Amino acid sequence: MAEIEETPQPSTAEPHQTPQTPLLSGAIADPNPNNTRSTKPGLKRLIMISTVLISFVLGLPFLLKSIEIYRSPLPFRDIESLGDRLESIPLRLPCRFQAVFLGFEGGSSGLLFDVEKLGFVIFDEMRELSRNNGKCGGCDTNYTVSVTLESGAGCVMNQGSAMPSLWQCGSYSELDDRLKDDDEGIDEWLDSMLGRNNGDSVDGGKMYTVVVMNRDEEARIVVGKHRHAWIRGRVGEKYAIDKVANIFVKYFMNGGKEDALVKGEFMPVGADGRIVLSFSLLNADPRHWIYNWDFKRIEEVKLFPIIKVLSSVANISVESQVLYYTPKSSFSYWDEKLSSFIFSTKDLPFFVNSNEWHLDTSIAAGGRSKVLQFVVYIPSAEECPLLLQLPNGEISSTNGFISPMWGGVVVWNPPGCSKNSKNEHHPISNTLSPQDLQKVLEVFTGQLRQLFGLKSSNQYDSHTGIFSFLGSESGFTEWELDALLRQHACFNLISCASTLGSLSRLVQSLPRMIIMDEIGKQVMLSLQAANLAENNASLGIYEASTVSSKQARALAEDAFFHPSIMSISYYSFEHCFAIYTPFFLPVLLHVVLAAVKECKRYKKSTLSTWLGGHKQSRIVVTLMLTQYRHGKIPQEINFYYGVGCLPASDIVTYG
Amino acid sequence: MGNVRPVLIVALVALGCFNLCYGGEEFSEELLLRPLPDRKVLAHFHFESTTPPTKDYGHHHHLFPKAIYQLVHKFRICELELSFTQGRWNYERWGGSDPISSSNAKPPGVELWAIFDVPLDHVDATWKNLTHTLSGLFCASINFLESTTAYSTPAWAFQKSSGSLRYGALPREAVCTENLTPWLKLLPCRDKSGLASILDRPAIYRGFYHSQRLRITSNEFGSEGIEPGIDLEQTLTIVVQPDDQRTSMSYSSGKIQQPDWSISSIFGRKISGTCVLARSSSVFLELESTLVSELNKVGVDNAASDGDITFPGFELSVAPVRVIKERRSSSVLFEFSVDKYHDDNPLDIGVKWKHPVVWSCVQAPFQANRFLLGSGNERGSIVISLRSTVSQRIFVGDEFGDGCEVQVVIFQVVPWYVKIYFHTIQVFLDGQLELTSAVIEKIQVSPSEDRVSPGVMEVALRLPCSTMSAVITVNFDKGFLHIDEYPPDANQGYDIPSAVVRFPDIQASSHYLGDNSSLDSPILSKFQENNPVLSYTEVLLVPLATPDFSMPYNVITITCTVFALYFGSLLNALRRRVGEEERLLKQKAAGKTALLPLILSKLSSKLRVRSHESHKSASPSPLLSNKLIMKAILLAGLAVAWHFYFG
Repeated sequence: MAEIEETPQPSTAEPHQTPQTPLLSGAIADPNPNNTRSTKPGLKRLIMISTVLISFVLGLPFLLKSIEIYRSPLPFRDIESLGDRLESIPLRLPCRFQAVFLGFEGGSSGLLFDVEKLGFVIFDEMRELSRNNGKCGGCDTNYTVSVTLESGAGCVMNQGSAMPSLWQCGSYSELDDRLKDDDEGIDEWLDSMLGRNNGDSVDGGKMYTVVVMNRDEEARIVVGKHRHAWIRGRVGEKYAIDKVANIFVKYFMNGGKEDALVKGEFMPVGADGRIVLSFSLLNADPRHWIYNWDFKRIEEVKLFPIIKVLSSVANISVESQVLYYTPKSSFSYWDEKLSSFIFSTKDLPFFVNSNEWHLDTSIAAGGRSKVLQFVVYIPSAEECPLLLQLPNGEISSTNGFISPMWGGVVVWNPPGCSKNSKNEHHPISNTLSPQDLQKVLEVFTGQLRQLFGLKSSNQYDSHTGIFSFLGSESGFTEWELDALLRQHACFNLISCASTLGSLSRLVQSLPRMIIMDEIGKQVMLSLQAANLAENNASLGIYEASTVSSKQARALAEDAFFHPSIMSISYYSFEHCFAIYTPFFLPVLLHVVLAAVKECKRYKKSTLSTWLGGHKQSRIVVTLMLTQYRHGKIPQEINFYYGVGCLPASDIVTYG
Repeated sequence: MGNVRPVLIVALVALGCFNLCYGGEEFSEELLLRPLPDRKVLAHFHFESTTPPTKDYGHHHHLFPKAIYQLVHKFRICELELSFTQGRWNYERWGGSDPISSSNAKPPGVELWAIFDVPLDHVDATWKNLTHTLSGLFCASINFLESTTAYSTPAWAFQKSSGSLRYGALPREAVCTENLTPWLKLLPCRDKSGLASILDRPAIYRGFYHSQRLRITSNEFGSEGIEPGIDLEQTLTIVVQPDDQRTSMSYSSGKIQQPDWSISSIFGRKISGTCVLARSSSVFLELESTLVSELNKVGVDNAASDGDITFPGFELSVAPVRVIKERRSSSVLFEFSVDKYHDDNPLDIGVKWKHPVVWSCVQAPFQANRFLLGSGNERGSIVISLRSTVSQRIFVGDEFGDGCEVQVVIFQVVPWYVKIYFHTIQVFLDGQLELTSAVIEKIQVSPSEDRVSPGVMEVALRLPCSTMSAVITVNFDKGFLHIDEYPPDANQGYDIPSAVVRFPDIQASSHYLGDNSSLDSPILSKFQENNPVLSYTEVLLVPLATPDFSMPYNVITITCTVFALYFGSLLNALRRRVGEEERLLKQKAAGKTALLPLILSKLSSKLRVRSHESHKSASPSPLLSNKLIMKAILLAGLAVAWHFYFG
């Protein structure tokens, strides 16, 4: 009872007003004598707490905004759609085909019927041949075959094709004179006839022609160096149709490629669309002999045409060097029968001696250019002549090999090397004769073709029965270049799409990575170029399509390898969390707990006000008193009735 | 017949070929050996490749390295010098004014300077690209010279140039075989044959000093040229201590016997022939003029000799092809041609001393040193001291009168965090403070800008010949770095690159007796070029204040904790209803006291005492403060735990 005595006793101030509840009045009465309040009790603190809490909640977006890092918006959806589009339907460019039959007599139902029928038959045959041929960079599937039939009787074209035939009727009469020429002459004559309308400006793709000349001589098939082939001799209709379809599909459509020789993904073209052809002359041991070459002249004569024709596939630059003391790292053995040193194809992986052959990447080639090494290896006197043995036991005619994506090696044996007794102290200095260098360069041209996925040289094809191919001076015929262009356009776009896809996945997986505006711009430009390439492809403009696809790929790579992406110092979310937690965690704990308490309290006080408002308080109080006397007063009730949520003024009024 | 013809053609071509088919590209290799006064031997390899201008010759080369040609053309380089050095050239003992010491003694680490033929606003960008390319080419961290704080543009003190010169140095770069291998790759024979084949790596890196240098001079762009298009000069200078073959040292007459040495004893290999692609291949043995005069003195005393090839005072194991004498001083060069030697008969030049000889090297008029003054992490001063080499007065000029003066040009680059106060430059001559305007002939400074450019100081002094010592001091403050600017080994200190001290009046050149045709060796023609004497000072090591690198996070944590405490207590103070709580406590206490007698009656008197105490402590105000303290402790504990586990 000592504690009660200590408390101020408001009951002493008003002893007669509440005689029945002396204890209660002492407990509930407001200690504040100024008890005229207009607002509901407890609201002040609740408002204060909720203001703090709300300001925290409202401040959160500002905080997040202030610690946000700059990310240039990337068109994720466009990137995804480009990838999906290219994956579902690989890019194919439209091609047109034309078959010209000369000197065939029409059937009984008239020439017109034959022409229509021939068109369908060839088309069906081609469909059959190119069925499992969904390759990237092939021809569009809805191609047309136009057929022209000319004989002494007249000249008929089929109506099915929308494209006008390039063959000019009436040329049949010239045929006899022209066929006296050799193949080259015929090729040029056909080109002058067919090629004049087949310029780049023609929409809808390139036109490929096979001319079948029915003559009284042995059958002979020639594929020219432009966009046509011809069959001359005694040929039946069925044979002719079969051959025509074969030539169309195998050569004009697919570029005469051997399957899976070089996969499309391994294009020997740098990401920036450049190739550096680095030619090296290796003198294995200059103490025996030293060879040099006049590379400047051979570059002008042999390499410039190749660079020119491939310019739409890649920008090519050429450099050369002569190196000394560069032994090979594989072994060779002496073969008595051939009286020469032999290295076999098994040794090839070890032939290139990367320790001693410091071929070097080029300083002149910037960034992501592809360097293709072409090496002429001159063996030392101890291993001369050095020959390459093929797996079937024959000696390689080129004496060279390629390594895909790296380049090629040719072993050149100095003339009369076995006779040359080695002269240790005074080596002979020689120059590769122009003829030898020409031969070496021809091998290199073949190797370059192989690196691009073509056959090293087209020869007699027993399967199709093609008699000969005419080679171009530049090493690449027009129809091969068309196939290369188609393929590169497709693979460039696929590579661009996959690079952009990786970039977008990376960017999305690292939400706190800074993305510069420049990257966003490069991605936009890359997508634009890719769209342009697709448009050009659908229109059949091969060069423009390849060029813009190359650009798209280069830009995508630039964006992906941007130096700012390469930096690893991201301000990670964990870092951010670690910095702000020591402040916000304890503070928020306080605020939230206080807010919860105040809310609870407010709820209860409103409840008690409600009770008081219904004039029940007196009953409750009496009830409580009785309970109290029995010693059964519950703690909570004691708390909120006794401690003052129930304003004393109310009690006083109603009591 | 078909076989014979090509052979004939080849043979015909071969006859007239050797010079023709290289078409003016030339390569030469030379080695110069010189005994040094402190029982060491200097070996100086000199390789030179030249190629004719591109406009006549095209860009396909047979001997000239492709990498260098492409480098010159890509960056339009007029001149470039890159050196990798380990150890410091001892100017006092190894000489200071001869061509080797003034053009091949380099500061420790990497030094690179280049002059470009590009518009002035492109020079910096070109320099940056060049540093990256060289970094890749030579496997070194030259790319650190890319930042504008690392390189400078000397106006006149380093070289006469027209604004397109850039100079940078990395004093702390470690030099090793990975830098030598790419350097050797530029030689047509690499180290497979010729003089470079004796470059035994342990022998080189065991030495006291080695410096590999690459200098490109190109006339490709514009200017009229008599010289060849591009000239690539590669030198390797080594100072080694030969193994003393004679254990007993002759201390007769108090002189220490010079060690006998040979090429095989220094390098462990012998020269087995020339590089077949070299136009000339020769070895020189140089005896300095002071040594020659010493030997002559000795030689008069002991003229008798028994070996085949004898000279006063020493013996050579191989007879020289010829002996070349210097015109001014009396130094002697013995030339050995490597042509005659091959695998079965290797060349091994050896020197055997017969008598102890003592001599000293020819030195520059002043010996330059640089050191730091002051202590602490706040300020200090840099001192460059020039000490006269008294005995070498002959170089200054014969007249000792008052009119005789020596010009000294000092070029010094300091990083921005060493903030030099250029107004504090003081010059002391022979210990006396001089008026700076009286001594300094010309001065150009460019103060450093924080994180942008280093401070550059170019000073030309004119000192009287009678000066015994000149001291230049300049004060500096040490700057503070950002946390991310410290290198990984921040406590080691920061290197200030060597200062360059030039003596423009004095030429470091040797002129040899003989007609020009007999002296067409590239190394000798290099020695005859007129270059001013140049020397480098020491690298300085400045300690800067290094912070505790976990500090930022500690600061964040403690600040946040303080704020949280403050905020929490403020919130509490606002929210609390003190009177109400007091009443509640009383209620509680009242409730308890009502119940207590029942419990207390059952408890012992001891417990009663305790309960009484608890009542006392339950009195409102102490409990409140206790609660607060408990909360604070809990929060602090939480913060500590958080810091311990997550911090």
